[in-house]
Amino acid sequence: MMKKRPVLAIASAAALAMTLSACGAADSSGGTSGGTVTVGESTSLSGSIANLGQTGLQGLQLAVSDINAKGGLLGKKVKVVSADDNITPATGAANARSMITKDHAVALFGPVASSIASAEEQIAAQYKVPIFFHTSNDVSLMTKTFTPYAFQDVPNTTMEPRAVADYLAQKVGGKKITIATFAPDYSFGHDTVDGFLQALKALHVNYQLVKQEFPPLGASDISSYLSALVSAHPQYVFNAQYGGDLVAFTKQASSYGFFNHTKVIAMYAYAPLAALGNAAPAGAIGFDRAPFWAINAPGMSAFVKSYQKKYGKYPTEWAILAYASAQEWAYGVKKAGSFDATKVSKALSGASVPSIIGSMKIRSCDHQAEVPEYVGTVSGSGDSSYGGIHLYDQPVFVAPFDKIALTCSEATAQQP
Amino acid sequence: MTVSNGLPSGASTVERAPDLTSAAPTARSRPWLQALVPVALVAVMAVLGLVLQADPLLTLDEVLALVVFATATNLLLGGGGLVSFGQAVFYGVGAYTVALGWLHWQLGFWVTFFLAPFVGAALAIPIGLVALRARRLYFALSTLAFSELANQLAESRYDFTKGANGVFGPFVPSSLTDPVGGYFFLLAVTVVSLLLMWKVHHSPFGLVLRSIRENRERMQALGVNVYRHQLVVFVVSGFFCSLAGAMFVVYSQSAYPELLDWTTSGAPVFMSVIGGMGVFLGPAVGAFIYQFGHDELVRYVDDWQLVLGGVLLLIVMFWPDGLLGTYARARWGSRRRRGARDEEDADA
Amino acid sequence: MDADLEETLGTQAHAQGTPMSGSTIVTDLVGVLTTASSLFIVATGLTLVFGALRLINIAHGSFYMYGAFLATTLVARVPHVGFWVALVVSPLVVALLGIAVEVLVLRRLYRREHLTQLLATFALLLIFADVALRLWGKGVRGISPPSAVQGSFAVGGAAVPRYDVVILAVAVAVGVGLWFLLTRTRLGWRIRAVVDDPELLSASGTNVPLILTGVFALGAFLAGLSGVVIAPQQAVQPGMDAQIIVAAFIVAVIGGLGSIVGAAVGSLVIGIVQTLGAVWAPSWASTFMYVLMILVLAVRPWGLFGTPER
Repeated sequence: MMKKRPVLAIASAAALAMTLSACGAADSSGGTSGGTVTVGESTSLSGSIANLGQTGLQGLQLAVSDINAKGGLLGKKVKVVSADDNITPATGAANARSMITKDHAVALFGPVASSIASAEEQIAAQYKVPIFFHTSNDVSLMTKTFTPYAFQDVPNTTMEPRAVADYLAQKVGGKKITIATFAPDYSFGHDTVDGFLQALKALHVNYQLVKQEFPPLGASDISSYLSALVSAHPQYVFNAQYGGDLVAFTKQASSYGFFNHTKVIAMYAYAPLAALGNAAPAGAIGFDRAPFWAINAPGMSAFVKSYQKKYGKYPTEWAILAYASAQEWAYGVKKAGSFDATKVSKALSGASVPSIIGSMKIRSCDHQAEVPEYVGTVSGSGDSSYGGIHLYDQPVFVAPFDKIALTCSEATAQQP
Repeated sequence: MTVSNGLPSGASTVERAPDLTSAAPTARSRPWLQALVPVALVAVMAVLGLVLQADPLLTLDEVLALVVFATATNLLLGGGGLVSFGQAVFYGVGAYTVALGWLHWQLGFWVTFFLAPFVGAALAIPIGLVALRARRLYFALSTLAFSELANQLAESRYDFTKGANGVFGPFVPSSLTDPVGGYFFLLAVTVVSLLLMWKVHHSPFGLVLRSIRENRERMQALGVNVYRHQLVVFVVSGFFCSLAGAMFVVYSQSAYPELLDWTTSGAPVFMSVIGGMGVFLGPAVGAFIYQFGHDELVRYVDDWQLVLGGVLLLIVMFWPDGLLGTYARARWGSRRRRGARDEEDADA
Repeated sequence: MDADLEETLGTQAHAQGTPMSGSTIVTDLVGVLTTASSLFIVATGLTLVFGALRLINIAHGSFYMYGAFLATTLVARVPHVGFWVALVVSPLVVALLGIAVEVLVLRRLYRREHLTQLLATFALLLIFADVALRLWGKGVRGISPPSAVQGSFAVGGAAVPRYDVVILAVAVAVGVGLWFLLTRTRLGWRIRAVVDDPELLSASGTNVPLILTGVFALGAFLAGLSGVVIAPQQAVQPGMDAQIIVAAFIVAVIGGLGSIVGAAVGSLVIGIVQTLGAVWAPSWASTFMYVLMILVLAVRPWGLFGTPER
């Protein structure tokens, strides 16, 4: 009789075998036992935002190897595990979960996309592991969905557009201007555009909104959206794209002669400017979360040198902020004398952390790091000390944290 | 200029594989054996729920949702011969029903979970009415268009759906976010769904459907309303695909536009092909293999798509009946001499 | 940009607010033609293959992506004339890849059902996608238009990118070339005969399998060509294969699978819908082409210029 078992039995055998193998894989060595601890970074390592995730991960790895070179943390060496989230929230969440449960990560470092960040924030809180966001900057991570285990080390979606609006208001004064917006169709794009327009209103800038376009995130072909933008003839375009998307936009738009009569306001940070080379749009307004060439903090020049040595490039703002985040975590662990999330969180709350971007105060009400935003006008000539890249004209506007951030009472009012 | 007439070498005639679903003479002669295996299978799954750690349990949660998704898709594929690349519409709508019900109307999980399959079924009526006007390839492409349309709507209707971001939130009750509780709930839903779909499959309706797949013209000549039969099975499939989407939410606690994408629609088709679309439990086995393959392989090799593509290619080229199908065919072949075909015809 | 042009544009800026000014019409028209041209080149390959082989090749998107990636490589390796070299070499390399696919995989599946063929080409898409990741990495790549066709010229007060004219020219060349091939040559006659009556053709001494391989290679060539042509305009990145295949399906299905005239009309329709959609209803623009395809399939399931399936 046994040999005549119906086909269904295969299913049970297969299921059993596979679940057991999955079970075995979970039985790895504990993260805090032995001489090492693990930290995890699940981020976007492919697709249109891969550069953000990859250089961020490099910043983290460099920080960890610097920590290990100085003898590690609490006598333990630190190890980084990483995974690609494919820009999909469910994958990011699964990665974070498995880093905590299988690799026993004692800290997580943030993804690129806000949607994934909010998924990981909840998982980090569920398992009580600190998570540091150094790329995604959605303000609601620290307000609507705030948890005490989450830390934000970038200018958030309230701060960044406010800083840019400040700069624009100084430039145009009382003149009436026409503006169009162009942003990837997801929360970062919408929030940044809304934040920018609200900030312009608050600053009483006399503007007329002539066109709003939201092309799909990571779309290869934006030509139809671009020609709609061109035919609207705006004087200013606020563009919330970044990385490869921004480079593609700039190249295509300049084939229309767009930059001759329109000032584009966008995240022209080091990496896109380097990619554009001489095609960089002179006179456009750029903003950057952490330009290595404009920050004079102790440790920055040493960091730039070792980053160049290891990766053969100047560091992006993503690498710099990831490095600073790792410094923040290490500072918290040392101060707490423990890897325990609750103790680390308590130690960091309100602390001033020395980092490569200067002393970084961690506001206790919402765990937002008090970091500035850098805004400037893209130069018409290349900077010879940085290989001919077009950087910003001097002086670069450093928007002060207190002027652009939500106040503590505004932030806590939105917290759960 | 048109180069579209005729067919090279009769390529579009559908192959007629033997109907393996009802070719189980052993089981018919011993009904207790037929019941034994599913019961044993459920028992094994239940034991796993008690002994496994949280992490593999969460993977199993996702697998259970996919088992229902794939089996529901195979009602169309294996049962009706309808290749749909649009079942993700219903899967995604099931997930969004729970998420958006919570976001906009503060509806509780149990309400939206119960509602989800009905929303999917209701949506399947207009989509089916339109898509089923086209046949074969054109039906596949039409459903693909619906899938992409739903995906784009979810991405662009930012105020309603939160766009590409998706909806995340604490909308799953804590009794279900607990890994063991969630697992047993999903297991129960899976068992009930599979039993119901088994009923549909083995009803006279299911038989008519398979006859339509075998010979549409003959059934039409016999006065069977083909369009209506196919619409009904499309709606039933939509019902269970949506239920699967709502089950997925228990695992993921989120809904996002990729759930509606045509590549998501492709997944249950793959699972059915891997497991064997001619066997009722084929897609379920395919779902196990697909998801565990994905979760485990992805940890060790970067080239998951390469492996999946390679396996799929080998299966469609050399093993078109899938794993269970090949097994069943081998057994069926050995029993052919005993006149299994006659028995099957008598069944009709 | 030259000073004259800047002046023209400067004065144009005052005319904003009147949405249908001359320059706006020119910009929109150029947008329509550019989108339509690049879609036509890729969709016509898909529809050609369907016409002769009766199969929908999902891996057509891979051929397109490989064309674009190869172009970025060639532009980086060959100074100055890299793009023009790529315009010839990339499609040929992709055509060779097409021959391999047809001979090793598809030839065995012609007598099988549609699902098998669809899944086999889908499997190939997955395989090619991972191989591309290995060869070209996960990042975004991009090339600039060759220096001879950079910048723009003024028409009716609007700046028209020079490179857009190149895309249009290639599309027209492809359309005319295919028309000539299919209606004015013996080979074209044989290709159409393969579709109508393969047995008779085979009996008359024609090597039918060779013709099928040739048609598939030509389809792959066109996909590769379109990849090269769009590379200076768009972000070249993983995932563009799955994105383009859906757009190509829509064009081919609206026009009628197998019909080259249909592909031309279909791509124009989609070009208009995309461009005007982005102007008039930006937030709905991405949905229009799917709605259009569904409408066409509901009313005329075989497309505008296709013939009903028997």
